[in-house]
Amino acid sequence: MGLFVLRRLGVMLLTAIALTFVVFFLTNLQPNLEKLARTEGSVRMTEEAVQDWIAQNGHSGSVLLRYGQWLGVVPGWTYTDEKGQMRGRCFEIGEDPAAAPRYCGLLQGDWGFSTFFKTPVMDSLGDKLAATGWLMLAVMLVMVPSSLILGVLSGMREGSATDRTLSTFSIASTATPEYVSGVVLVALFATAATGISPILAEYGLIEPKKTLFLASATSAMDDITFWNFALPVMTIALYGIGYIARMTRASMTEVMTQQYIRTARLKGVPFRTVVMRHALRNALIAPFTVIMLQFPWLLNGVVIVESLFNYKGFGWTLVQAASNNDIPLLLACSVVAVVVVLLTQLISDIGYVFLNPRIRLA
Amino acid sequence: MKDLNIGSELHPAAQMYASEYADGKLSRREFLTRTTALGVSAVAAYGLIGLSAPAQAQEAKVGGSIRVAMEVKGTKDPRLADWPQIANIYRGWLEYLIQYNNDGTFEGRLLESWEANEDATQYTLKVRQGVTWNNGEPFTADDVVRNFARWTDGNVEGNAMASRFPGLVDEATKTLREGAVVKVDDSTVQLNLTASDIAVVANLSDYPAAVVHASFQDGQDPASNPIGTGPYIPQEVSVGQRAILVRAPNHTWWGGTAPLDEITYVDFGTDPAAMVALFSSDEVDANYESVGEFIDILDGMGLVKEELTTASTIVVRMNSSSDLYKDKAVRSAIQLAVDPNVVLELGYNNLGKTGENHHMFPIHPEYPELPAQTINPPGLMPALEAAGLKDAEFEVISLDDGWEAATTAAVQAQLKDAGMNIKHTVMPGSTFWNDWQKYPFSSTTWNHRPLAVQNMSLAYTSTGSWNETAMANPEFDALMAQALSIADADKRRELAAKMGTILQEEGYIINPFSRSLFSHHKEGYAGLAHHPAFEHHHYKWSTV
Repeated sequence: MGLFVLRRLGVMLLTAIALTFVVFFLTNLQPNLEKLARTEGSVRMTEEAVQDWIAQNGHSGSVLLRYGQWLGVVPGWTYTDEKGQMRGRCFEIGEDPAAAPRYCGLLQGDWGFSTFFKTPVMDSLGDKLAATGWLMLAVMLVMVPSSLILGVLSGMREGSATDRTLSTFSIASTATPEYVSGVVLVALFATAATGISPILAEYGLIEPKKTLFLASATSAMDDITFWNFALPVMTIALYGIGYIARMTRASMTEVMTQQYIRTARLKGVPFRTVVMRHALRNALIAPFTVIMLQFPWLLNGVVIVESLFNYKGFGWTLVQAASNNDIPLLLACSVVAVVVVLLTQLISDIGYVFLNPRIRLA
Repeated sequence: MKDLNIGSELHPAAQMYASEYADGKLSRREFLTRTTALGVSAVAAYGLIGLSAPAQAQEAKVGGSIRVAMEVKGTKDPRLADWPQIANIYRGWLEYLIQYNNDGTFEGRLLESWEANEDATQYTLKVRQGVTWNNGEPFTADDVVRNFARWTDGNVEGNAMASRFPGLVDEATKTLREGAVVKVDDSTVQLNLTASDIAVVANLSDYPAAVVHASFQDGQDPASNPIGTGPYIPQEVSVGQRAILVRAPNHTWWGGTAPLDEITYVDFGTDPAAMVALFSSDEVDANYESVGEFIDILDGMGLVKEELTTASTIVVRMNSSSDLYKDKAVRSAIQLAVDPNVVLELGYNNLGKTGENHHMFPIHPEYPELPAQTINPPGLMPALEAAGLKDAEFEVISLDDGWEAATTAAVQAQLKDAGMNIKHTVMPGSTFWNDWQKYPFSSTTWNHRPLAVQNMSLAYTSTGSWNETAMANPEFDALMAQALSIADADKRRELAAKMGTILQEEGYIINPFSRSLFSHHKEGYAGLAHHPAFEHHHYKWSTV
């Protein structure tokens, strides 16, 4: 078991290195560097000025060496301009270059400086991850119970009217991508001119607000309320609910055809007890893996929803970092993504052992 | 404001303008722009034409705060600033020598007054006394000289100010010429230009020309070390999220007390639909700009509308480095196939005035009346055939939303109706602006500038830093060089007429309309009048 975990952590490290190098290579392609120069310097720079900017801000030379700087195994770049002022990786403008360390990369605990947010990467990413954490927590709290209930209800009597109805709902919700359901939900619940808000407002049910829910989750960054958080949470959860419910249903129907369930039924155990005591635990093994798989999926699900609702979390940060070619921030985002994906897989593998005693971790 | 420029010290041209105004040759706004550019104070200028200056609201109520929806971009070295939004944040603590007001006048801020000589080759700047930096040091003539050195440094990549003062720069070193900016005494600075330049005053008021302290390092983020002369300091600047300006502690602002205690900018992205939701859910008190059909919607929500007619415009331009558009006849035919009235209606809901394809508008002092162009869509295909481009595929590029896209789509639709095989490609702002000068055919928004020659010299001279058409017309260049030395607007108008004709004939640009600008705010606020260059003059804002 210990060895298994260690090996998984080793794989995680290797994956992180490989992925960050790929990201580093792609963000350091010449057109991307030119784009960075224009956003950082000035949109109106000439072609030569752009090339100068790239050279003078540590983006020239071998990609491997620059990647080494990020890792902290190659000394950070410096540049002295014609007025004798120094710039460099390891110190900010105005600080004393002599006092700065020679190496400043990941190994030294320095994640770099976000060119878009103008703050150290860890500072900006920390808040954003916390914001996304709250969003994911809320989504999980809504999604897991409701999808399991839906799945069990429709799986316990395959082919019944309940099954058909709930299956239709699950398939519809999982077939609707977030960018569709988000817009539909906003139109229905969060505009003062259309949907149900004007009707409710007319009866004075939602005074003093003008809409049932808020179409922007920006204020939830400071203070989460049902009003500002319901729509983003529902948008993500709806998609997942359908998916997990389908998985649970499939697993449940399979369990319900097992011999021991029939035996229990023939012995005269009430249907309710059969489902709760005999079927449920076995039926939940497959959904457990699926739920753990939702974490990495949530990470990219939030990209769309956070942009749509202006909620400034990890997904929104990823979009900003990518569209502004913020190299250190994108690299940090990749590391976070690798860790989240592999860690949840590790947890799901270990959890599987506890749910299903037939499986052993070699 | 002190009236140092009255009576005998008046610039000779000012009296001439006053009589032109009396004859009805100048509008009030044009008169004010021109005379104040020559160093006449706004009060004196109003006096010359027998009007009294509009009184500022006496004793605005002190206290209160405001939340403004605006993109929060990273602050950067002011001379590199490329968006008014960037300047609106550092404007809280960095001030300008001269300010362009939204009634067309120039007002001395860190300068008490200024004067130009007869041919506009020498300017005398009187530095305002009693101004202090928020670290307690006094603001002096040395600060003015040092900032001129920063602005004129052409070795800094992307320095937006470098090309603004050709008369002060040493060609060889691309830096401030020895003896160009002289400190005469503690309160006087003299500019000695090698050639006449009428745009000095206007350039000093533009948003990259913020005055920074001696401790400011080149390329530094001004928010990291916010030493300035203005009434506020930044409490927080979180890019993409929000910026908060609060009163500078232990700082006596020379202008008295700025009314508002706190100004918060919140970034909600650029989707105008979101703005409606934000106002209705009471998340903002004012916005940066209202556009298109949302103006009516916001009006309907009981908000106060601020409206301003400007020379802000959009130029759908061709670039002759592309083989498709190197032929003048082709460009002309394309230009004349587009009816500006249709574009104004479809692209901007008629919220502006039609343009004349020469990037000059009646608000500009030197605006010439040219004979109207004949719109001729049937002429397009014969011209394309003659150039062998009958079956060529054309593409026009624009930003992906808002009125820029609608305007470009209206242009494309008319060209398509005339028989051209043209498609419309949209790009998000983050990729569009990377290559904005290089697209063969695309639309670019241009902000208002006080003088027509300012935009034209930037955009259409062969050496202009924002030349996006690859136009290089020696005659135009020569006329522009001449125009930039003529303070007399009537003479300059003759040149402007010639330049306008050249621009029309070259056919590079479709310049369908100039925009009226709108913004909205809740009741209970005053002083938030819209500015032609989107400047936020925080000290004028107050609660009621």
